[in-house]
Amino acid sequence: MAFNERDKILTKVQKPTRYTGGEINSVMKNPADVDVRYGFVFPDTYEIGMSHLGIKILYHTLNERSDTWCERVFAPWSDMEALMRENGEKLFALESGDEVIDFDILGITLQYELCYSNVVNMLDLAGIPVLAKDRDESYPIICGGGPCAYNAEPVAEVFDFFMLGEGEELIHETTDIYIEWKKSGKKDKKSFLEKLAQLDGVYVPSFYDVLYKDDGTIKSITPNNPTAKPVVTKRIMADFDKTPAPDKIIVPFGEVVHDRVMLEVFRGCIRGCRFCQAGYVYRPVRERRSETLTKLAESLLSSSGYDEISLSSLSTSDYRELKCLTDNLLRITEEKKIGLSLPSLRIDNFSLELMNKVQKVRKTGITFAPEAGTQRLRDVINKNINEDNILKSVKLLFSGGWTNVKLYFMIGLPTETDTDVEGIAELSEKVLGEYFAIPKEERAKNINITVSTSSFIPKPFTAFQWEKQNTREEIVEKQDILKRTIKSKRIRYNWHDNKTSYLEGIFARGDRRLCKVILEAVRLGCRFDGWDEHFAFDKWMQAFANCGVDPDWYLRKREYDEVLPWDHISVGITKSFFLKESEKAQRAETTPNCREKCAGCGVASFKTGGCYE
Amino acid sequence: MSKFVIKYSRGDRVKYISHLDFVRMFHRAVRRSGLDFMFSQGFNPHPIMTVAVPLSVGVTADGEYMNVGFETTLNENELMSILNGVLPSGFDVKTVKKTEGKEYDFNLIERAEYILDIECDNPNSIDVDSLMSNTEISVLKKTKSGEKETDIKPLIHSLERIEPESGNIGIRAILAAGNMATLKPETLVDAINKYQPDGKITFFAAHRKALLTKDNKELL
Repeated sequence: MAFNERDKILTKVQKPTRYTGGEINSVMKNPADVDVRYGFVFPDTYEIGMSHLGIKILYHTLNERSDTWCERVFAPWSDMEALMRENGEKLFALESGDEVIDFDILGITLQYELCYSNVVNMLDLAGIPVLAKDRDESYPIICGGGPCAYNAEPVAEVFDFFMLGEGEELIHETTDIYIEWKKSGKKDKKSFLEKLAQLDGVYVPSFYDVLYKDDGTIKSITPNNPTAKPVVTKRIMADFDKTPAPDKIIVPFGEVVHDRVMLEVFRGCIRGCRFCQAGYVYRPVRERRSETLTKLAESLLSSSGYDEISLSSLSTSDYRELKCLTDNLLRITEEKKIGLSLPSLRIDNFSLELMNKVQKVRKTGITFAPEAGTQRLRDVINKNINEDNILKSVKLLFSGGWTNVKLYFMIGLPTETDTDVEGIAELSEKVLGEYFAIPKEERAKNINITVSTSSFIPKPFTAFQWEKQNTREEIVEKQDILKRTIKSKRIRYNWHDNKTSYLEGIFARGDRRLCKVILEAVRLGCRFDGWDEHFAFDKWMQAFANCGVDPDWYLRKREYDEVLPWDHISVGITKSFFLKESEKAQRAETTPNCREKCAGCGVASFKTGGCYE
Repeated sequence: MSKFVIKYSRGDRVKYISHLDFVRMFHRAVRRSGLDFMFSQGFNPHPIMTVAVPLSVGVTADGEYMNVGFETTLNENELMSILNGVLPSGFDVKTVKKTEGKEYDFNLIERAEYILDIECDNPNSIDVDSLMSNTEISVLKKTKSGEKETDIKPLIHSLERIEPESGNIGIRAILAAGNMATLKPETLVDAINKYQPDGKITFFAAHRKALLTKDNKELL
């Protein structure tokens, strides 16, 4: 049987179907028939990337164009990368197997800060110069999007442009401008970027100069090109119910993390938790109608052949048509022998009944996220849930036969004291107490409570964007307090590694001066920083030292009047609102959710969604 | 209710799918078709489907077999076109036969015909006739309980040189394959490397042309 050079590599690596494409519903086109070869790059493994909803949406919408062929590009795992480099093979796309250096546009989605080393490494593996200034018209245009694009300053010099916010329309507008530029002979990349910069939601980093003060803080961020807006505002889909969703999705051969149909129920969140970047940047809340979702579920199930479906959104309990939707879905799942997997829901009689219908035999674990151990601190973070809610909910659960409860908290939150940390243990013991309060014959055996803490990381575009992040030592100290104060053997405590949170915090609020550190870290061998088996903290510290950059400086408290690296970007929420929320947090004052009372955050300027219901 | 035996090929694009992934892929394909799989009885019902002599990862094939049952009544041609409409490209259902019982007994499969394309750093070193003239061909063979020195000569039914499509050596081989005994092409390649050490086989690709009975016949 005929073989080629790539076969020689693929026979030696783990999970070769990560690299071969050919799955059902993947799109094949003739390169000669299209104007644009588009590479949608997810800078992590196939299994992670293929679990992501955004890639499915944009892949589908781009491939509906007859002039464009969009293919998928993932980060090869280390075994594959080593063999590729040994054999001189460059980064390729899955559908055609062609090297991406010959593509027109590479769109890289930035889902988390710890993927930056992979972004740089992938471009290097592709044979493409990493910095935008070193790429002339002959190289692919490199653009970025996704949540980290809101402050992608640490990798700003890598990208030609960013698309901010929801991409369903913007990706077409930018592609149209590219085609026009290509047909006119692809002269002068700057003129192309100038056209793009005039679109709402496009940020061209090279069109802005950043000046620094002697103390290292930013003096100013100013446009150096007349087409660049002083502030670039994100894009959203105004009518989400009518926003096209793919009715066909690629079905991987190997198992991926989320191996099922995902229904995107709504975008945005009404809650306003002060630490939560997603809760702010996806505003305003916009729902799909349950009929729309039911139809979509039917077509996705029959075009994919999946036997499981799940719902996707922030805080799904806030979906106003949840009962109607789940009734419809239960009808479909029972008829077709399909599993419905529920997101974590607020526990009440409705959700308990629903969980009982869905999981007739197995009682899987239920997750609660009180986030903080005391009411004072929950008020600080505006997590509008109180101890009474939690205890009533677990009582319902334990009486219903559940014995597996997970409690999620954050440590290192603003204003946190030892009392707040000890409060996590106290609350967990109270949850356990609710179990023992139920007569023995009425409760199931083997209670199992898991307490998990992650470390709070202040993120841009949140009320806590000015806060100091705890040092690694402070985090370890707080973890130790918890280890000491959790007494019961029936409560298990899991904590998050402090080193990855440290690095994530640096990049989340980082500026352009971090770019050289990332390049240096990759040179030293850093990649897949989100993966324990690859994360090399010492190499990162070495990279900071080699570049003369103090990482701790990026975790410091910012003053309200300081120019923030993302001040020229807007998610639609005013800085004065964040400031007001920050001050209210200090006073432990809560803010009602969007449906109770408009807090005047500013997203009403989009003239749609929850603000106008 | 109708039961079928299906003969299908597996091409280059889908040759790296593991057996387990193949089974799941087929289940999903049937779900897409809307056909009603027959489910097994019992605590954890699963669709009834039997694959004859599962293929190794990386190997392409012309004539694989599978038994499946559907609650729906169907004819052979209908099923063939439905399945070809829902399977990923690279899989091609070539023949479908209705079965009542054991007319096409997978236990009768004892051999497989392979075409090997080999890349060898010294092609002149390979001589299949001289390999077969050994009274015994002993190599380390993977078994369930670990690696064991085994005489594989009885498992090689024929070996001949042919013109290669890729690489510099082509071999047609009929090897044991089935419930009784199986010889994988890679073990044959190990034997060639061991017995003819003047050259080293650096890479090979295998294509399973047919599954055969002991009379070198195909089931259908």
